[in-house]
Amino acid sequence: MGRAVRAVLMLWFLLPFVPILLWAFANRWPFPDPLPQQWGLDGVRSGLTAGAPHAFVVSTAIGLAVAAIATPAGALAARALVSGRLPLPRLSEAVLFAPLVLPAFAVAMGLDVLVLRTRVPGPFAVVAVLSVAAIPYTTYLMRVAFGAYDKGFEEEARTLGASRATVLLRVQVPLLAPALSGAAFLAFLVGWSDYVVTLLVGGGRVVSVPILVGSFAAGTGNSAVVAALSLAAVVPPLILLVVVARAGRRTEPPT
Amino acid sequence: MSTRLGLRDLTRQHPGQPVPALHGLDVDVDAGACLALLGPSGSGKSTALRLIAGLDTPTRGRVLLDGKDVTSTPAEKRGIAMVFQRPLLFPHLSVIDNIAFAARAAGLSRRDSRSASRRYLELVQLGDLAGRSVGDISGGQAQRVALARSLAAEPKVLLLDEPFSALDSALRGDMYALLRTVRNELNPTIVVVTHDQSEAAVVADSIAVLIAGTPEHHSDVRTAYVRPSTLAVHRLMGGLNEFHGCVTAGVHHSGLGSHELPAGVSMRDGPAALVFRHEMVRLTSAADSALPGKITSLQPAGIRCLACVRVGESSVFVELEPQVNLTVGADVGVLLPAGALHAISTAP
Amino acid sequence: MSRNLPPMRQGTSRESESVVSWRAALWVLPAVIPVVAVLIGGLGSALLQSLGLMPLVGAPALTADAYRANAGEMATSAALSVAIAAAATSIGVLVGVTTALTAVGGRRAALWAGTVTIPVPHLIGAATMGLLLADSGLLARVFGLSDGGWPALVGGRWWIAVVLEYAWKESAFIALVVASVLATRVAAYDETAAMLGASRRARLRLVTFPLIRPAVVAAATISFTYTLGSYEVALLLGRAYPEPLPVMAIRLFTSIDLATRPQAAAAAVVTAALALLAVAAALTVLRRSAIWR
Repeated sequence: MGRAVRAVLMLWFLLPFVPILLWAFANRWPFPDPLPQQWGLDGVRSGLTAGAPHAFVVSTAIGLAVAAIATPAGALAARALVSGRLPLPRLSEAVLFAPLVLPAFAVAMGLDVLVLRTRVPGPFAVVAVLSVAAIPYTTYLMRVAFGAYDKGFEEEARTLGASRATVLLRVQVPLLAPALSGAAFLAFLVGWSDYVVTLLVGGGRVVSVPILVGSFAAGTGNSAVVAALSLAAVVPPLILLVVVARAGRRTEPPT
Repeated sequence: MSTRLGLRDLTRQHPGQPVPALHGLDVDVDAGACLALLGPSGSGKSTALRLIAGLDTPTRGRVLLDGKDVTSTPAEKRGIAMVFQRPLLFPHLSVIDNIAFAARAAGLSRRDSRSASRRYLELVQLGDLAGRSVGDISGGQAQRVALARSLAAEPKVLLLDEPFSALDSALRGDMYALLRTVRNELNPTIVVVTHDQSEAAVVADSIAVLIAGTPEHHSDVRTAYVRPSTLAVHRLMGGLNEFHGCVTAGVHHSGLGSHELPAGVSMRDGPAALVFRHEMVRLTSAADSALPGKITSLQPAGIRCLACVRVGESSVFVELEPQVNLTVGADVGVLLPAGALHAISTAP
Repeated sequence: MSRNLPPMRQGTSRESESVVSWRAALWVLPAVIPVVAVLIGGLGSALLQSLGLMPLVGAPALTADAYRANAGEMATSAALSVAIAAAATSIGVLVGVTTALTAVGGRRAALWAGTVTIPVPHLIGAATMGLLLADSGLLARVFGLSDGGWPALVGGRWWIAVVLEYAWKESAFIALVVASVLATRVAAYDETAAMLGASRRARLRLVTFPLIRPAVVAAATISFTYTLGSYEVALLLGRAYPEPLPVMAIRLFTSIDLATRPQAAAAAVVTAALALLAVAAALTVLRRSAIWR
């Protein structure tokens, strides 16, 4: 029974990937044929000419920027939360996790006016809002990591004569590296996947991959392009996921 | 709760491991009796317990309850309860609800299961902690609750996996007393795993010694001390005196001289080690003894003292009575009671 | 060999003394300040706009017109948003918890499959659901139901495709959260319960479900509020009317008629209020169950 349930669940999760794989490489697929009549790279080519490379660069830049901001901020905040010496810990926690539950479009909509008035450039405002959206994820992940992190390693290093800098570089960072890379990955994903904030705060001028896909998906007859672009939107994060998961497993401490 | 437990050739080899963790354990525990599984870390004691409990399947061998083979019965149906090293009290339930868990799982209502568990809570002397949450009690109290919880399941056999090792020695004394009370009241069949021979001696009726997965000794407590089957068992039981030599016609010859082995010990001729307990050795004046020697060191062990006496080329360890007042360098004579002697074959 | 350890300064070394230290507060500021600035700036500005206190043209004047003008439609939109979020979260919890439970025995295939969906942006998810479930989609073709036999999942009355896309992504998230709790907190207690004679069903009922409940409530609340405020999926897979709140808000926001800006802000504020209500409800549920820390 367990095997049947697992099979159904795998179907549930993986079935939606099938149309993009089929459509991305379908040159002709008239209705109502169950399979494409002609395979080819027309969809991919249309995607490339429609601005996929530029959108790719924009999305990557946004993702990296968000990761670069949200990961250290989250790590520092997590350290403070775990230390138990924070004033008003409950309030701090509530603030740090608030972006998880508040609707992003509402925040973006409200900020848009302020951004226009203060003349903050669109991309900066987008990165700022998305970094705030990513902070709950990075803080949570790092808090779990710090909770499991044994200060004994640090103290042992210090009694062996290590300076604070050495302790940081050679003890803390290696022990925390898996969690840091996981947190950075999640933050990157927040930046990479976003649609609404980029749309509203970017003022239509920041064209990330989701924005590009959205513009094609809204129309009709674009299935091949949409599918090809969707593949481009999904494959890089998937590769990153595998890399991060491998790195996390390799540096597990002995139990 | 009194059931006869039988283990037949119980063996377990973990997948991917070259050597079995447990090799051929063959033991019977009478109804209401207590067996201690004694051994150093990694000797397979906990493996044996998990096999008896049904949490793991043996590679070979059988587990019998009152003669009935339960090896293929799953853990939850075997009627065997286990107390682990850590109390593992359910964090979402209060103390009384933890104890009432088995009753609840069997289908009783919350009120019925609570009233049925009251008795076990009183048995472990924690009657006023019923409504407490498990985070609010001490480690010793938690271990008592874990014990009450297992007893409330009214198991056929109770398994204890080093249950007192996390407690300090004062608490441990309390727990031994509690175990005695439990045995008097409920008469359960118990198997307790420990690495501490003195604990095994206090708690159990019989001792089975496991070393590196192999059972090396099984007997009542006194025999385990005085007549160990192997040198490893002798050392594990805290024995300090072993003298290598050989046995011919019931007499052991070694650097310590020739000693006739007691009638009950039958030994074939060949290389053997003479062993005896340091607690059983007597000291007299040098003139009265066949083994005169000099005290070379005195080690305090609690209120008693462990003396090392040099007899010829050999050193004999003797535990001194508290009132004996000797100094290093004193001339003494060693007296070995005939019944204390035992020989272990050292033939390859 | 003597060693000079650094002198003990107030609030630095010893964890055992939980002295509240304002230096520790410095560590949170790099995260807290941006969050507060963006949230207060964004929602505050939306609130002010909705109340007429931050108009694009003219003088500020406190008024509830923006809320009244669309009251009926906003109510319908709110009801629709809540219904979609509730349906999606319910399915997500069911599928997610089941997935996490199947991974307990060490057979993690279903959980792995769920993990693969995490990096998929919701917009892409909507696009692919459209390709799968539309009248001209893959499933319709595979089942051969071409002329009208295929139910209107996309853009239909029941918003089925929208609910399914949200449920699809949320179930993976909930599965991962619950699986991690199962692996860390629940594993040892399961054996203990078995040793006390509890069957598999009794163990699920008396041990597993109570222990994962807080995590499920938290993950479900996050999923619910996310779905409540999500735009792109409803836009791609939904129908023109009625609109969920975010779609309505953004339509009003991007319309040429500038007078609708306050109404857009009002819809945004209502969505945020609904989200906060959901969180408050979840917190009361969490507080009532026996929480250990």
